[in-house]
Amino acid sequence: MIVPLLVGILFFTFMLVRIGSQDPVGLLAGPTATQAEIDMITRDLGLDQPLFVQFSYYMTNVVQGDLGESWLSNRPVLSDILQRIPITLELLFWGVGIGALIAIPVGLHAAFRPGRAFDHVSRFLSLLGFSIPTYWLGLVMLFVFFYLLGWAPPGIGRIGLIVIPPEPITGSYLIDSLLQGSWEAARSAASHLVLPVICVAIVAAAPIIKHTRAIALEVVGSDSVRYARASGLPEAIVRRVVLRNSTVPVMTFVGTELTGLVGTVSLIEYVFAWGGLGQYGLNAIVAGDFAAVQGYVLALALFSVLVFLIIDLLVVILEPRASEQP
Amino acid sequence: MALLQVDDLQTRFISRDLDNQVRVAKAINGVGFSLGRGEVLGLVGETGAGKSLTAQSMIGLLRPPAKVVDGLVEFDGRDLLSMDPGALNALRGNEIALVVQNPLTSLDPLTRIGDQLIRVHRAHRKVSVAQARERAIDMMAAVGIPAPERRMRAWPHELSGGMAQRVLIAMALINEPKLLIADEPTTGLDVTVQAQILDLLRDMVRRMDMAAIVITHDLGVVAHYCDRMAVMFAGAIVESGPVDSVFAGPAHPYTQALISATPERLALGSGAIVGGPPPDLYALPEGCHYRGRCPHAAEVCGSAPPDREIGAGQVARCHFAGNLPAAFQ
Amino acid sequence: MTEASLRPTRDAAGMPRALARIVGIARRSPTAAIGMAILTGFAGLAVFAPLVMPYDPIAAFPREILTAPNSEFWLGTDGNGMDVFSRVIYGARYAFGIAIPAVILSIVIGVPLGLWTGYVGGYVDEVTMRVFDALRVFPSIILALAVVAATGQSLVNVVLVIGVLDSPIFARVVRSEVLALRSSTFVESAIAAGNPTRRILFVHLLPNAIQGAMAQTAVRAAWAVRISATLAFLGVGIQAPTPEWGAMIRQGAEFMVTGQWWVALFPGIALILMVLGLNMLGDGLQDLLNPRRKA
Repeated sequence: MIVPLLVGILFFTFMLVRIGSQDPVGLLAGPTATQAEIDMITRDLGLDQPLFVQFSYYMTNVVQGDLGESWLSNRPVLSDILQRIPITLELLFWGVGIGALIAIPVGLHAAFRPGRAFDHVSRFLSLLGFSIPTYWLGLVMLFVFFYLLGWAPPGIGRIGLIVIPPEPITGSYLIDSLLQGSWEAARSAASHLVLPVICVAIVAAAPIIKHTRAIALEVVGSDSVRYARASGLPEAIVRRVVLRNSTVPVMTFVGTELTGLVGTVSLIEYVFAWGGLGQYGLNAIVAGDFAAVQGYVLALALFSVLVFLIIDLLVVILEPRASEQP
Repeated sequence: MALLQVDDLQTRFISRDLDNQVRVAKAINGVGFSLGRGEVLGLVGETGAGKSLTAQSMIGLLRPPAKVVDGLVEFDGRDLLSMDPGALNALRGNEIALVVQNPLTSLDPLTRIGDQLIRVHRAHRKVSVAQARERAIDMMAAVGIPAPERRMRAWPHELSGGMAQRVLIAMALINEPKLLIADEPTTGLDVTVQAQILDLLRDMVRRMDMAAIVITHDLGVVAHYCDRMAVMFAGAIVESGPVDSVFAGPAHPYTQALISATPERLALGSGAIVGGPPPDLYALPEGCHYRGRCPHAAEVCGSAPPDREIGAGQVARCHFAGNLPAAFQ
Repeated sequence: MTEASLRPTRDAAGMPRALARIVGIARRSPTAAIGMAILTGFAGLAVFAPLVMPYDPIAAFPREILTAPNSEFWLGTDGNGMDVFSRVIYGARYAFGIAIPAVILSIVIGVPLGLWTGYVGGYVDEVTMRVFDALRVFPSIILALAVVAATGQSLVNVVLVIGVLDSPIFARVVRSEVLALRSSTFVESAIAAGNPTRRILFVHLLPNAIQGAMAQTAVRAAWAVRISATLAFLGVGIQAPTPEWGAMIRQGAEFMVTGQWWVALFPGIALILMVLGLNMLGDGLQDLLNPRRKA
C-alpha cells in the first residue's frame, strides 16, 4: 500500500512543475538565447523525452537523494531541506503539543456536559479559531506584543541578533542551548518561540476541540458506556471508560490534522521570518523556484505519510482489536 | 409486600420541530404493575410499544429528550423516581441488574472481561481485588463459561455472541441482585444458543430467588419462562395476568391477535397475521389506542376503556373484555 | 411538501408561517441564525458597495498616505493613500465572487463523480478513492498555492484551482450516501424496472444523496474565502492594489511593526467575520440536517 502511495506522491510533485504555464527552458536560457542554446538546455533537462521517461529519471533521482538544485540558494535542494526540517519541527512540536494539551481536555469537558455554558463557549471559540487567518493573527500579535507593549522580540528569526546561537545538536535552539547550559541563548530562543507557538497552538486547538467533543459524545452514547452506567459504575470510572475509548480516534484525528498544520506552520514561519522549511517553501513558490517547490511539497507529503505510519503503529499497540485485523 | 410496584408511569419525548412547535410523543401512558419476590414477569409487545422504555424509565437510564413526567416506581420500599442520581446509580448493577440485547457492543472493548467483572463487583462491594477475582471466576463458571480462569483474560471481541451474553449474565448476577431485568436477552443470538441462554437465565433466577422482568417480543419465551405476563401496546399495558390463563383465554383483542399469530398457530391454519401500523405517538387517538386496528371496534371505543378483571389476577383494558367471541378454541 | 401546504399559513400566535419558521430555526440553532445574519450583512455590502463606499476603493490620495482613522477616512488610509473603509467594503465582492463560483465548481465536479464512483463501485471506485487519499497527504493550503503559482496567477485560475481541489470533499460525501442507498429497495426496484443508469443516478439517487453535500456548502465556502485570501496575502493570484482582503493584509503587514495597525487590522476583521459567518452557518446546518449530532 505504501509503495503505490509514494509513487503517486512523486508523480504529483513531478507533474506540479509540468502543468505550469511557465517555461523553465526560457527562464534558464534568458531572453537572448539562440535556438541552438534553447535546444541544448531542453536536452540537458531531458525535456525532449516522453513524459514517462522524464518521470522515471525524476524517480531515480529522488530515490538517490537528488532533488535538484535551487535557483534561489544555488545549493542542492535536499541539503537545504534537511537543514531546515528541525527548525520547522521545533515550531510544530511546541505549537501542536500545547494546542492539543489545551484542546483535548476542553473538548472532553464540553462533551461531558453538552448544552451547558462551557459547551457553548468552547464551541464558539473553536469556530472562531477555525476562522482566524493564521498570518493575520501573527501580525496582530507582533503589533500588540512587540510594537505596543515591547514584551516580545521583533518577528525576525529564532534568536536575538546579538546572541550567540548554541552548537547544533537537535537543531532546536531552545533545547540545544539548555543542553549546553547557555542560559542567555535559551532565554532568547524561548522568547522568540512564544508568539509563533501561540499562533500555531490556537490554530491547532480549534479543530481538536471540535472533534474531541464529537468523538467523546459518540463514545458517551455508545452501547458500552450506556451499559457501564446501567451497571452502576461510579461516574469517575465511567469517565475513564469514555477517555480510554476516545483515545484512539482522537489520536488518529490529531495525526490527520498534522498534515494541514504543516501548511499553517509555513504561513507562521513566513510572518515571523522563522527561516525553516515552511518559509523556504513559500519563498520558492512565490519566486517560481521549481526544484525547491518540488522538494518542499515532497517533504511535506512524506511527513504526512510518516505521521500516518506512526499513528497506525500506535493504534496497534493501544487497540486490542487492531492486532486481529490484517 | 411486592418487591416492585409501578403505578401510572408516564414518559414523554419532548422536542421542537423546524417550525419551533413543541412536539410531544406519549411513549409511556400509565404503565402500572407489581412484582413479588421470586416472580418472573414477561413484558411483551411489538417494537415501539414501550417495553424497553418502561425499564429505562424505572431505573433512571432515559436519555434526553425522553423524560418521566408522572408516576410512581417503588422498589423494596424506596421511591426510585425521586431518588438522588448517585443513590440510584449505587442501586443499579447491585440490587437491580440489567441484561441487554447486544452483549458484544455493550462490553467495554478495551478491558478484559475478567477485569470488567471485577470492576462491577468492586463498584458495589467493599472487597479486595483477589476476592473479587475469585468471585468473578465463580460466576463465570456458574453461567457455564468453560475454563473461566483462562477466559478472564479474554477481550470482548474474542467472544461469540452467546458467550458474551453469558458474560453479561455473570456481570448482572455477580452482586446477587433482588431484581433482574433482561431486555431482549436473546434477540441477537443464534436460535440454538437462545434456548441455552434462556434456560441459564431461568435456572439462575430460581437458584438465587430473584424477581425478574423479561422483555421480549417472543411469546414463546414468555410461555416457557415466565410466571406472569403483561402485554404492552402504545405505551400502556393492555392485558396482564398469569401466563397460563392469558394464553388459555386472552381477553384483549390485541392479545388474541398476538397469540393467534404465533408460528405454531399459523402452522395449524387457525391463526392470523397481526396487521396494521403502530399508532402515532405524537397524536394518540382519544379512547382506546388499539381502535384503529381492532376488528371489534365500536362507538364506545371512543372513550377510554376500563381495566376489567377477567379471572384470577387477569386484567384486560377493553370495553368488551370477557364478552368477545373467542378467537380460537 | 404537500404536507406543509396543507397546514395553516399562520400559527396560533398569529405569526406568519415563514417568520415562525425562521424564529424556529433560530431557536433550534442560534449558531446558524447568527451566521446567516452576518452573511446577509456582507451580501448587502457587496451588492450595495457603490452606495456605501465613501470613496473609490482604488483612488489614491497622495497627501493622505497612512492617515490614521479619522472623521474623513473612518478606517484610515493605506500606504498608497487609498481609503481602507471603502476597500474593506469592496472586498466583500471578491469574497463572494471567489467563494460562490468555486463552491459551485466543486459541486459540479464532485457530486457526479461521487454518484458515479459510488454506484459503479469496483475498480473505478477503488482507484478514485486511492487518488483522493493520496491527495490528502498534501496540506490543502500548500497544494492550492503551488498549483496556482505553477498554472498562472489570475483570479479565474484561483477560482478554478480552489474548485477542483475541493471537489473530492463533495465526491466523498455523495459517494457514501450512494453506497448506503444503492442496496435499498427503491433503487433495486428502479434497476429491476429497467431504468437506464443515467436516470437512476440523477433521478433516483441524486435527490436523496444531495442533502449531505448541501450541508457542506457553507463550510466549503468558508474554506474558499480563507484560501483565496491566503493566496493573495502571499502575493500569489490576486495582486495589490486589488481591494481584496488578503491582498490588503499583505499591504499592511509591514506597517504592523511600525505602528500603522489599521491597514491590516480591518481587512483581517472583515475576513474573520465573513469566514466565521460561513462556519457558523455550516455548523448550524449540519446540526439541523443531522439531528443525531446534538445530544
